[in-house]
Amino acid sequence: MASEKAEMDSLKKECDGLRTQIEAARKAVNDGSMSSAAGSATDVGRVQLKLRKSLKGHLAKIYSMHWATDSRSMVSASQDGKLLVWDTFSGNKMVAVPLKSAWVMSVAFAPSGNLVASGGLDNMCTVYNIKSASPKTLRELDAHTGYLACCRFLSDTEILTASGDTTCCLWDLETGKQKIIFTNHIGDCMSLALSQDERTFVSGACDSLAKLWDLREGTCKQTFSGHTSDINAINFFPSGNAFITGSDDCSCKMYDLRSDQEVIGYQDTSLNAGVTSLALSNSGRLIFAGYDDFNCHIWDSMKGEKVGVLSGHDNRVSCTGVPGDGMGVCTGSWDSFLKLWN
Amino acid sequence: MSSKAHSSNNIAHARRTVQQLRIEASIERIKISKASADLMNYCNEHARNDPLLIGIPASDNPFKDKKTCTIL
Repeated sequence: MASEKAEMDSLKKECDGLRTQIEAARKAVNDGSMSSAAGSATDVGRVQLKLRKSLKGHLAKIYSMHWATDSRSMVSASQDGKLLVWDTFSGNKMVAVPLKSAWVMSVAFAPSGNLVASGGLDNMCTVYNIKSASPKTLRELDAHTGYLACCRFLSDTEILTASGDTTCCLWDLETGKQKIIFTNHIGDCMSLALSQDERTFVSGACDSLAKLWDLREGTCKQTFSGHTSDINAINFFPSGNAFITGSDDCSCKMYDLRSDQEVIGYQDTSLNAGVTSLALSNSGRLIFAGYDDFNCHIWDSMKGEKVGVLSGHDNRVSCTGVPGDGMGVCTGSWDSFLKLWN
Repeated sequence: MSSKAHSSNNIAHARRTVQQLRIEASIERIKISKASADLMNYCNEHARNDPLLIGIPASDNPFKDKKTCTIL
């Protein structure tokens, strides 16, 4: 017992030492801020986007939406127990997928456009083929011991999930089995984003931390702190060297991977609502963040200033997405509508 | 759980934490001034390919409802 206590004390001392070392290393490179670097940048001015379409069809709160790679189709999920695939150019519904469990929290489109996936309080991720005559269940991925908060396809054969059981998981869709389990978070994993080269991904969790993972090795490479509440949303900056988070602490933050820390925060004393979702414009200059205050606020990512707002929903904005061609923003809300703006 | 098993779990957990912190401590970090400049450059270089930033002409707008014309 005494030797175990001695080992625990020594390990704890080493932990404390390493934490101090990391903080010192971060401080040593903290020679300026993003907002000072952006001082010389041109102002974006007031960003005023117009509402182009209101998509009606869901009968209950919308929890998630995801653009297809064709920048035209889009899938949405509602707790009315349906996934709807929309043609956003016409506003028409193309496919309706009835769900076994209505308690859906996340939906994703495969890059091929052939498959969609969803999951939620059923703790499962279900994959559907939407190109068959009627939507066909391809796989039921059942191993998480907590709710499915987020899912993203790498291809038609691999999908990544984030769960309330505090783990993320890479699945093989050909076998329906888990390939790699990513453990390190100590709170529900709420959101994930894949890097463009698909070698890494970032996750945000209720432990208020964001983590960078090696997709193939299964290891956590970096941990980012700063938020003081659950991180609900996370997305890569298009260069791949930074990512942005949105949190229940009412702020968004940009973290740079190579400096290993926060480089700028986005908060406003008048904004007292949690951030539910976020998306970036193609250059990375504009951040569209959905809030509990029924609005999607637009931030200048470089100067850290609010530059616009998308108002029109009658309830919380729960999901936000910009298509690959950057031609618009889609917001989804608990008011059961999806709106397209540009 | 016996106290011996409990303390072995704690030790295993502490060892994993040390292992993880060693990985995180070992990375190279670049200065925030350089990181910020690179992010700014990226925004500037790609601004002209950002429709939401520069605006979309009505004729090219896929989401805008097209009004039909009548020839009188």
